[in-house]
Amino acid sequence: MLGQTPAGEIDLPRSAFEGEASRPAQSYWNESWERLRANRIGMAAGVLLLILAAISLAAPLFTLFLTHYEPARLDLLTTFQPPGHPHLLGTDELGRDTLTRLIYGGRVTLGVAFLTVAISLTLGSSVGLVAGFYGGWIDDILMRFVDMVLAIPAIFLFILMSILFRPTPVTLAAIIASVGWGGVARLVRGEVLSVKQRDFIMATRSIGARDLRLITRHLLPNVLPVLIVAASLGVGQIILIEAALDFLGLGIQPPTASWGNMLTNSESYFFHSVWLVIFPGVTIFVTVLASNIFGNAIRDAFDPRLKTTH
Amino acid sequence: MPEGARLKRAWTTADPLVSVRGLKTWFPVSSGVLQRTVAHVRAVDGVDLDIKKGETLGLVGESGCGKSTLGRTIIRLIDPTAGTIEFMGEDISRQHGTEMRLHRRDMAMIFQDPYASLDPRQTVGDIVGEPLDIHRIARGKERQDRIYELLKVVGMNPRFADRYPHEFSGGQRQRIGIARALAVGPSFIVCDEPISALDVSIQAQIINLLENLQAKFDLTYLFIAHDLSVVKHIANRVAVMYLGKIVEVAPGGQLYRRPRHPYTGSLLSAIPIPDPLIERNRERVILQGDVASPVNPPSGCHFRTRCPRAKPHCAEEEPPLESFGDEHLAACFYPLD
Amino acid sequence: MAGPLLEVQDLRTVFRTKHGDVKAVDGVSFEISPGETLGIVGESGSGKSVTALSVMRLQRPGKILSGKVLFQGRDLTKVSEGEMREIRGQDIAMIFQDPMTSMNPVFRTGWQVAEPVRLHKGLDRTSAMAVAVSMLGKVGIPGPATRARDYPHQFSGGMRQRAMIAMGLTTTPKVLIADEPTTALDVTIQAQILELLRQVNRDFGTATILITHNLGVVAGMCERVMVMYAGRVVESGPTVDVFAHPKHPYTWSLLRSIPRLDAERHEPLKPIDGLPPDLIDLPSGCAFHPRCQFKVERCSRDTPLLNRVGETQLAACWVTQSGVELKGA
Repeated sequence: MLGQTPAGEIDLPRSAFEGEASRPAQSYWNESWERLRANRIGMAAGVLLLILAAISLAAPLFTLFLTHYEPARLDLLTTFQPPGHPHLLGTDELGRDTLTRLIYGGRVTLGVAFLTVAISLTLGSSVGLVAGFYGGWIDDILMRFVDMVLAIPAIFLFILMSILFRPTPVTLAAIIASVGWGGVARLVRGEVLSVKQRDFIMATRSIGARDLRLITRHLLPNVLPVLIVAASLGVGQIILIEAALDFLGLGIQPPTASWGNMLTNSESYFFHSVWLVIFPGVTIFVTVLASNIFGNAIRDAFDPRLKTTH
Repeated sequence: MPEGARLKRAWTTADPLVSVRGLKTWFPVSSGVLQRTVAHVRAVDGVDLDIKKGETLGLVGESGCGKSTLGRTIIRLIDPTAGTIEFMGEDISRQHGTEMRLHRRDMAMIFQDPYASLDPRQTVGDIVGEPLDIHRIARGKERQDRIYELLKVVGMNPRFADRYPHEFSGGQRQRIGIARALAVGPSFIVCDEPISALDVSIQAQIINLLENLQAKFDLTYLFIAHDLSVVKHIANRVAVMYLGKIVEVAPGGQLYRRPRHPYTGSLLSAIPIPDPLIERNRERVILQGDVASPVNPPSGCHFRTRCPRAKPHCAEEEPPLESFGDEHLAACFYPLD
Repeated sequence: MAGPLLEVQDLRTVFRTKHGDVKAVDGVSFEISPGETLGIVGESGSGKSVTALSVMRLQRPGKILSGKVLFQGRDLTKVSEGEMREIRGQDIAMIFQDPMTSMNPVFRTGWQVAEPVRLHKGLDRTSAMAVAVSMLGKVGIPGPATRARDYPHQFSGGMRQRAMIAMGLTTTPKVLIADEPTTALDVTIQAQILELLRQVNRDFGTATILITHNLGVVAGMCERVMVMYAGRVVESGPTVDVFAHPKHPYTWSLLRSIPRLDAERHEPLKPIDGLPPDLIDLPSGCAFHPRCQFKVERCSRDTPLLNRVGETQLAACWVTQSGVELKGA
């Protein structure tokens, strides 16, 4: 058997030992990372998102050292201050510092966005993986269920939610995810179906691998790029949804600041103190733009069609 | 006698390693809103075959003839619809799970597409070592040594174990696939078009490698290909398939010198030979029309719609595989002389 | 009119990638006369397809660096895109390997086959369709009038390829370039298509350039053959001569490494050692020398030029140019 092979008996071609030795081993992830790094604009967008997230996380530190204000602090004597000193971005109708509110609002908005994406992806990909891998009646049942979820008119769900209780960022994330995971499930299932066809899945089966091994070690890593792209694009989408909900009065309620409800407040004061509209608006715009650009950059980085090696 | 005992006969190396009887693999075709099964793709439509220990049996045919499906059914990657598959005397056609997994150590498969048959996310070492992990054959240093040995045996530098498949050429990837197939120490390997996707100058390297490995490890091959020139070179016996059935089996030289089945005859005359003088003077039997569909094969002999020798009788009855002496079988009522 | 119909002189086409320049076509010259059949043989990376695409000016994203493609008194590398469009499909037609992807799946086949005559000869829809149907019949598609209304996916592989050939012929081009037309087809269908190409060449007098990696196909189809390796022509000449006594080690080794149907079993194959070259980083001197069993010192220094070796053949090899016969164990 194999263990007894004396070396050097097989006629080895010279070629097997030449070449390919100069460059270090490059995994698929390394290559994708290289491609991402080469995309300057994409990287800039990614860094921007990272900075925004960092600022939001460290909100109290910022207010302590930078702005010296709390988001809920009222000061009825300094209402409608234009941007300047000491309120760098001005104040609103209740004298609250806009910059501080923007930072704390970012906590809420970004927090909802990331949490929603996390829940959607976990739930959606589990369902998608199982449905895609097993096919048959399991696939049918799961996908019909997903169809039902996707058919739920989200807006009514949100209205219902706001009537029943006051949504906190966590519950808001859960509700948005509950209608959003369907899309992810479809996406993952589609990707699984295509990866499943590839010969290496059948090859791994032929050496005796069980289903669990196939799903976790072979399918999941090959499906991951699609998930990562969906996540980065999803963040932007959820921010817009959250902002819209707040604007309609269905989401985070004042006095808790979020970028969306800062826009609601400022609607009435558009001609009076336009900066109250501009700052949250621009912040949302820039963040969503960065998320889209970064998401596209990641997709390009993973796309094997752009491979320039072999 | 209890059922289980009957399934496992006493088997010696004089008996065929693999013995297939009446094998059918049909795939349902569904249609309509309710997804009813309206027809079947009869990929393998009643095949009897023996593969002797230590031999290379070639299996040729054109696309849609079912040769790949037959190979995959024998190795149980696809479940048969009917018939039996005996491996070393044991009927494995209905086995599943743990039972089947034991047999997976005795049989392996090499795939056609070197670019798709390796997981791009795994290192070469992990790909070759995975069978060792699954069957818990070796761990740690021993595992590493085995992987190195396997890579060397297929002509790859063991230093490449921590690299990824996309860094290698088609021929090298195919070697990795062969190393993976060898990892469990199988006695039987199904080679499903292992060189079709490779450059001509590399094909010969891989053919030689497969022959060397067969001698070294006492392997039995089922070599599936559409290129009869290659199959004739590497195989002891060649089986020709058409629309799910085996129409002729014979030792390679015999098949070429004296084919009995009209399909084999036209297949041989269609294959270009790299010699312009021979090519110019060849008598060609060029078949009309296209291959019929495996969903609705013609009644009687499946080949009759394209056969230049067909008679009315051919539509009524399916010709059985008959012996024409000396290991030569053909399924035709009006064979070539 | 005497003289070659199409003449390619020292063509160079390059693909610029982030790892370097891929010299896909590296100084290729050949010619074809009216009614002739020329085979271009090579493996993947030899540059045979890119050469054909460069002739048609379809080589993008590659770039034609230098060289001439002389056709009917004009240099095709220099004409405007508009003029090139007139030539494509009308004077020089090309058919590709995979008819499934080279045909548009959303248009009916007859419509697509009629497109070249509509564009180039300005025929109206009915007349163009009549030409198309007639050509579909000539290429052996039964019931052409009905089949013309079918979509490409409703045809089998062989029939689709016939339809592609019909599409190429409707404008009675002077040159037909067939890029691996039968590689994706079954062997019995391949025989049909090759027979069709032979017939087309006889009946229409179309000069045919057949690009393939299959030496058997070339042996049966082409009067002359040109062997390419790493973007260069390494040998050319009449097919009978090149196969009988190849004058380049690559051709010689290739012929010995392929299993032949008529060979007695069992002589072991003699594979060509090594791997195809990296086109970005070609070996110095002769591109084949790392794999060559006849090489001498000069081969790694100087790139051999294509010169006459023997009576009818050209070969780019220092060894054979100096009179050595290729022989081996």
